[in-house]
Amino acid sequence: MQQTMTGVEPRTRSWLPVINALYYVVLAVAVLGFGYYLYRNLDLITLYLPFLLQAAGTTIGITVVSMVLAMIFGFIGALGRLSRFAPSRAIATVYVEVVRGTPILVQLLLWYFGIGQLLSKLGFDPYNLAFNFMTIFQSNSLVPIIFSAFFYGIIGLSFNYGAYLTEVFRAGIESVNKGQTEAALSLGMNSRQTMRHIVLPQAIRITIPPFTNYFITLVQDSALLSVLGVTELEQTIGSFAYPLLNPNQKLFVFILGAMIYFAICYPISLLARLLEGRFARAYQITGDKADMLTTDMLTSDMLGKQVVSFSEDEGNNK
Amino acid sequence: MSLIQQALPAFLIGARNTLIYCFVSFPLALLLGLLLALMRSSRVAWFSSPAKIFIEVMRGTPIITQIFLIYYGIGAVLAVYNLSTIDNAWTAGIAVLALNYAAYEAEVYRAGFLSVEHGQTEAALSLGMTSGQNFFRIVLPQAIPLMIPPFVNDFIYMLKDSAIVYVISGTELTSVLQQWVFTHSSTPIPLYALAIVLYLLMSLPTSYVARWYERRLRAAL
Repeated sequence: MQQTMTGVEPRTRSWLPVINALYYVVLAVAVLGFGYYLYRNLDLITLYLPFLLQAAGTTIGITVVSMVLAMIFGFIGALGRLSRFAPSRAIATVYVEVVRGTPILVQLLLWYFGIGQLLSKLGFDPYNLAFNFMTIFQSNSLVPIIFSAFFYGIIGLSFNYGAYLTEVFRAGIESVNKGQTEAALSLGMNSRQTMRHIVLPQAIRITIPPFTNYFITLVQDSALLSVLGVTELEQTIGSFAYPLLNPNQKLFVFILGAMIYFAICYPISLLARLLEGRFARAYQITGDKADMLTTDMLTSDMLGKQVVSFSEDEGNNK
Repeated sequence: MSLIQQALPAFLIGARNTLIYCFVSFPLALLLGLLLALMRSSRVAWFSSPAKIFIEVMRGTPIITQIFLIYYGIGAVLAVYNLSTIDNAWTAGIAVLALNYAAYEAEVYRAGFLSVEHGQTEAALSLGMTSGQNFFRIVLPQAIPLMIPPFVNDFIYMLKDSAIVYVISGTELTSVLQQWVFTHSSTPIPLYALAIVLYLLMSLPTSYVARWYERRLRAAL
């Protein structure tokens, strides 16, 4: 019979589709209303949008550079965490625990106002180095005055995310069945060949999905560089909004800025969910749990097991 | 070192303020998150769609943008109506932390509800329970132990994210730290070390408790 084929569900109320349709009509009206709100502030948009988009490009550039450096830090950290040599294990563990246990804002301030001041007293000034370097290409005016803030800000972001990526890489490497390593070694491969041909290709399947989440949180954390004065998107929003005296215009500039951040992060999060759907088989869990893993991180002992729980290894932003 | 001894009382007050921010915002975030999760799971679009939009927007924008928007943007609009007394670093900080983390908690709740096997719900409904009874007697008691590790982790993230109120001149540990750094700019590094130690003292024990609990949980499963 038909009834035994379908799943058990509560009685569906017959007026539900009508109510939902009514909602979508109201939603369409609200979207049009928001469009009208944008239209009313068209003068602010035409004035500020080009600069905001340029600053958004700077933000994305900062994010990409930081991500690459963070992967380098993360790889070194993971090798340290997995090393047989106890002191390097200790250093790597201290690095990961301290960096993940303190706010990223404090770390950025430490890098710029603490370590940066110390190094500049000792004679190391990133701005001068960049200036002299770019003089060779006759384009030293391209170096912004706050280049030191860019420099230490990017190092601070990379250092922070390197600690989180250390755990991701470690989890990925440890998730590969030890039997594979044993088989490879017993076939006569040395440990470098094992790593390169057996372990890493399988580990990459596990480590790719969290990367998109890290990219999104890195875009959001790059907004913290505004505290150091770096002219990225958040700082540009603030510099346009503060002089405005009309509170409605002030609020609008902040909303415009938030919309640009959303326009950057939301497509990437959709891409992240798509990738996770495809990689979900690697976790041997259903699609819903793969969605869970977007918000949380995986520890090494959790991977490869049927039960998924989310412990520290950071993920989103969160 | 005498600088650290001088700074310690002020830093401890800053750390106390950090804990106040977190202990007030986190329960708010949990309550709002449960509400959001229930709304998002509803079949009524009037509930599920705004909840989805709220969660996506909160997760898609940086927390510093949100706090600027609420403190300066909405604050400026409130000043027009002479309501600016409700717009200070404490209320803005707690509001932003609670709203932002409510979005993340809603996802944790939803994941927890989905992790309970659907067979349990089917059995409950075929035994004649209503959806509400099913939720409170069958799903929620099984979901809560699974959701505690992510909640504790999110609390640790909130301990760290509370530093964001520095940008709106809050009185949190980071603000105290920077105050001292700017007045003692010749030797800032010991001050940073002190602040880092205090943050680690707040976050590391909590994370060890979380890991211990999770190990026990996985053993039980």
